[in-house]
Formats: sequence, C-alpha cells, structure tokens
Amino acid sequence: MIEPTYILSGLIVGILFGFALQRGRFCMNSAFRDIILLKEYTLLKAVIVAIIVSMIGFHVMASLGVIQLNPKSFFWGANIVGGFIFGVGMVLAGGCASGTTYRVGEGMVGSFVALLGFMMSAVITSSGALKGVKSDLQTMTKITITDQGPLVASTNRSPTLANIIGVDPWIIVIVIAIIGIGVLAWKRKGGEKTEGSLSEKIFKRGWSWWATGIVIGIIAMIAFPASAAAGRNYPLGITGGWSTFLNTLIKGDANVLTWETFLVIGVVIGAAIAAGIAGEFKLRAPGPGRLVQQFIGGLLLGIGAVIADGCNIGHILSGIPQLAISSIIAGFSIIMGCWVTAYLLLMRR
Amino acid sequence: MSGELKPTEILDVRGEVCPYPDVMTQKKVKSMKSGEILEVLVDYPLSAERIPESVKKMGHEVLKVDKTGASEWKILIKVK
Repeated sequence: MIEPTYILSGLIVGILFGFALQRGRFCMNSAFRDIILLKEYTLLKAVIVAIIVSMIGFHVMASLGVIQLNPKSFFWGANIVGGFIFGVGMVLAGGCASGTTYRVGEGMVGSFVALLGFMMSAVITSSGALKGVKSDLQTMTKITITDQGPLVASTNRSPTLANIIGVDPWIIVIVIAIIGIGVLAWKRKGGEKTEGSLSEKIFKRGWSWWATGIVIGIIAMIAFPASAAAGRNYPLGITGGWSTFLNTLIKGDANVLTWETFLVIGVVIGAAIAAGIAGEFKLRAPGPGRLVQQFIGGLLLGIGAVIADGCNIGHILSGIPQLAISSIIAGFSIIMGCWVTAYLLLMRR
Repeated sequence: MSGELKPTEILDVRGEVCPYPDVMTQKKVKSMKSGEILEVLVDYPLSAERIPESVKKMGHEVLKVDKTGASEWKILIKVK
C-alpha cells in the first residue's frame, strides 16, 4: 500500500496539472487535429513549449543526480500499432487521455462516458482478455541496445536519440531546443495583448500558449522526482493511473494503487476547481449518438495506450523529453491516427 | 447595426465536445447567404474562444460574444 505522503504528493501534483490543463485548454487531440482541420497552431505551440521545458528540466535534474532518466522500452510494432489506435480513439472520444480526464472535471458527460470506456479497455488490455495480444506484439518487436553510450544517469537499455547516434544527450537537447524555439519565433504572429489584472488572467481567462507550455513543462519536472520517491520512476502519466484505479475498485486490492492513481484523481479535482472559479463548470451532455461514439473512442484510447505502453502524456509529454525512440515513434503514430480519422470523419463532405 | 441583431438561424451545439462546435459552425456558416445572421449557442470553453477567431479568418463578421450563464456563450455571426 502506498504511503499517505505519496498519496498527498500525487494529489497535489495532479491538482496543479488539472488546473493548468483546464486553464490552458491543453488538449493534444485539438493540437494535432487542428493542424489539418482548422490550420490553427496555438495549442501545438503550447505542446512544443511544454516538451522543450521538460526536456531541459529532466536533463538538468539527471545531470545533477536528482533523478534517473527512464526512457520507455522500444517495441516498434506495439508503439506503431498502439499509437495509431490511440490516435483514432482520441478523435472519436473528443479528447486524448489527459483531455478526457480534465474535461470530466468541467462536467462534460461525454468525456465521462469516454473515460469509462478508456478505463475498462485499459484494464482489459493490460491484465484481461487482450493481454496476450499486447504482450505478443511487444515481445515480438522489442529492440534493446547493448551499448548504453554516454547516457545521462539512465539505468535501462532503451534506445534514445542520444545513444543510437552515440553523442552526449545534451548536444541533442540543445539542438532540439534551438530548432523548437526557432520554429515558434518564426510562427509567431503579433503580440497577444490581454488586459485585466493578474488574478483575472490566471483564474478567469484561457492562458496564452507560452504560459500554458511553461507551466505544464514545470509541472512535469516536479512530477518526476515526486513520483520516483513513491517508487514509480517516471514523470506524468494518465493511463496507468486509471487502470490501477478501476483494478482496485474491482478487485478490492489497494496494493496496485500507485502515485499515478492519485495524480489522475488530482487532475479531475484541479480541473473542477479551475472551471468552477472561471464559471466554466456545468454538467452537460451531447446527444445519444455522440455519447456512443465517445464511448467507443474511449475503448480505443485504452487499447491503444496499453499496447503502445503509453498515452499522449506518457509518450509525448514524458517520453519525448527523455529522447526515447519508443516515445518518438509512438508520438508520430498517434498523430497519424488522429489525422486519418479527422480527415475521414470531419473533413470529407 | 440597426435592428440587424435578429438571427436568421440558430445553431445549438451545447453539450458537444471539440471539435464539433467548431466544425458544425463552419458548415452552417458556409450554407448561409450573405448578410444573414447566425446565432451559435455553445457551452464548451475552448470553442467559445475559438469559433469567433476561426469565423473571422473565414472573412465573416463577429457581431457579439455574450457569456449567458455558467459555461454558456452566445455568439452572433454576420455572414459575408
């Protein structure tokens, strides 16, 4: 059973994360989908900023010995197939794993239904009827490296951009940061001027993309040592949190609860607080057809995330900043699934 | 704007999650004639912020965005 201190730290980081997700409208489904659907890049810029901040933060902390990097295992087949299924699911569900979770806190019934499907299929795929499919796909396509190379304080044998190229991770971190900031500067249009007091900006309005990105990047940094202290050496995550939550409810075994379980509960609470303060909380539901669609989307989210060994948060926000090859491949596959589905469902007339 | 705030059509997308409010608004606007006014009822915060922007990008005029209640907005769009 997890200690009360860690339950508290998980809840606190989760509340901060949920607050920031709601205020920043930080949804990767929208971020990726809107590139092709609306030619709109605001949320994508927030995602890029968050990745750059956490990438630098993780490597500083690893260099100082505060954390040990833990890039996810690379199973190319599982990363590609699972990521794609997840990408299809997030368009149908109307949100990625984190987007669906924080919208439950806003009172969106459709997202709550999607979350039920997500939890169910995450359990089914990690320890239920689909467990075999997942483990076969993962073991058949697993690639490890023999030479770890000059890794910064990492303990496992997962390939990263640094160790497959064979250079110091800091070189890659700096190159990616410069390219990323360059793209953001180039894509930047006019200053976004907003009036009002500081508290109004924080509590009442949607945050700007750069503020959202920086805050979420910092929360990811805080999450890494906090989670590691509780015996889970990884920064943010969503899928594992919900599958352990449902598992505990069904089996009555509190031993499977982890720091991540309390993180996701915190996200819902934090989003509810943020939405409540801003006057954006309301119980609301779409029609029955959309509810069924969102439930099916949720099922795909869970199947995809467990096969790929991570959702958009585990891979894109937590794994890419650690330069993990698995997360980069899964991330691209999530985007592909999202684009194909958005095209078929929303763009063809 | 003398008396032109009477909407020609009303689109109610309350309860819908993104991107449906945005997509349904764009489709609706495209189906309408120049000079007509569309009233959009939306309760999804991100869409309430983004519909006015995307509609402006399409060249239409946003007459008004009113917050009408807890997480409810009314957007008036004049079709170009």
